[in-house]
Amino acid sequence: MSMPLTRSLTIAIGASALTLLTACGGVTEMTRQQVARSETAVNQAQASLGTSEAGAIELQQAKNYFSQAQKAVEAKDDVQAQRYANQAELNAQLSVAKSHKASARKAADELLASIQTLRQETNRAPAQ
Amino acid sequence: MKRTHNIILAAALAAAIAGCSSTPEQPIAELETARAIVPQVESSPRAGVAAQNVSDARKALDSANAMMEKGGKVDDIRYEASIAATNAQIANEKILEAQAKEEIAKGESERQQVLAEAREREAVAARDRASSLEQELKDLKAKKTDRGLVLTLGDVLFDTGKATLKPGAFATLDRLANALREDPSRRVVIEGHTDNTGSDEFNQQLSENRAMSVQSALMQRGVSGDQISAMGKGEGYPVASNDNAAGRQQNRRVELIFTEDNSGQRVATD
Repeated sequence: MSMPLTRSLTIAIGASALTLLTACGGVTEMTRQQVARSETAVNQAQASLGTSEAGAIELQQAKNYFSQAQKAVEAKDDVQAQRYANQAELNAQLSVAKSHKASARKAADELLASIQTLRQETNRAPAQ
Repeated sequence: MKRTHNIILAAALAAAIAGCSSTPEQPIAELETARAIVPQVESSPRAGVAAQNVSDARKALDSANAMMEKGGKVDDIRYEASIAATNAQIANEKILEAQAKEEIAKGESERQQVLAEAREREAVAARDRASSLEQELKDLKAKKTDRGLVLTLGDVLFDTGKATLKPGAFATLDRLANALREDPSRRVVIEGHTDNTGSDEFNQQLSENRAMSVQSALMQRGVSGDQISAMGKGEGYPVASNDNAAGRQQNRRVELIFTEDNSGQRVATD
């Protein structure tokens, strides 16, 4: 093979490799960290929710986003990985917020009901 | 044939353009949602409990709106809008949680208040009950002594030499029983006494039997046995001289001694 051909081939390979790198050149460290954070958030939400119904849908959504984020990392799609990870994290937060809200509301309702009962009882109790 | 090709090509091109860029004619659902709920949480008086989420929501919504203006990519707009909407939802949940907790705090103090009212009412009722017993005893001419209020049931209320109560005692016993039932904290000590006629043993037995029969009469009228104790004191505690009939009659008696609550002021037996 003549020299120029080898050279142009090298250039061609180099160029295409460069294109490949910029196009889907893997995922940045920042994105990886974001994906890891979202995984932590999902796991924490799972632990916090337990079997609570409130927030369960959002937690499932967070899990779905997280697995999409993982796929995007595998596909070396930095932007999508970051977006899915962000959405996973936010949905995990939302599920926890919903479950906290639900238990606070339940406690408030129970307390109000107990006050109601107490009032009725003390009003009913005759002064003998 | 060639025309068909062209049409397909044109359609594909249009699809590509619509798919990857330019402002769509259709409204973006995520953006509509974000536009509706972000201002809601911003205007909540409790927005402070979710300040970070509210401000993140606003930033993302502004960015989505700006892209919409400039004809940005639908996917980008959709993403920013969903970040805005989710943050607003989180803020909303936190606001509702704060609201519930405020209700709990308010409810706690309300509960305390209701309980305090109930206690106060109970205390007033107890005072009323106590005063009704005081009143009864006053009406029945109970005497205030250092042993407590002493009510004397005279000899005439018993059959001679026997422990059976005569019907004449019933009205008094009814009133005492009512008053004692209303105030379960009051205690009464029933003491039987005799004159010095007859043997000591007989007098002791008679005084015991008379005290017991007053006790059982009160219990038959619903007074708790815990409130009553009864004993015979025989002839040893005369209140008048045994030398004449009038004095002896005064000595033949049953005394009911009312003590304050169960504060250990139970009357000494001697």
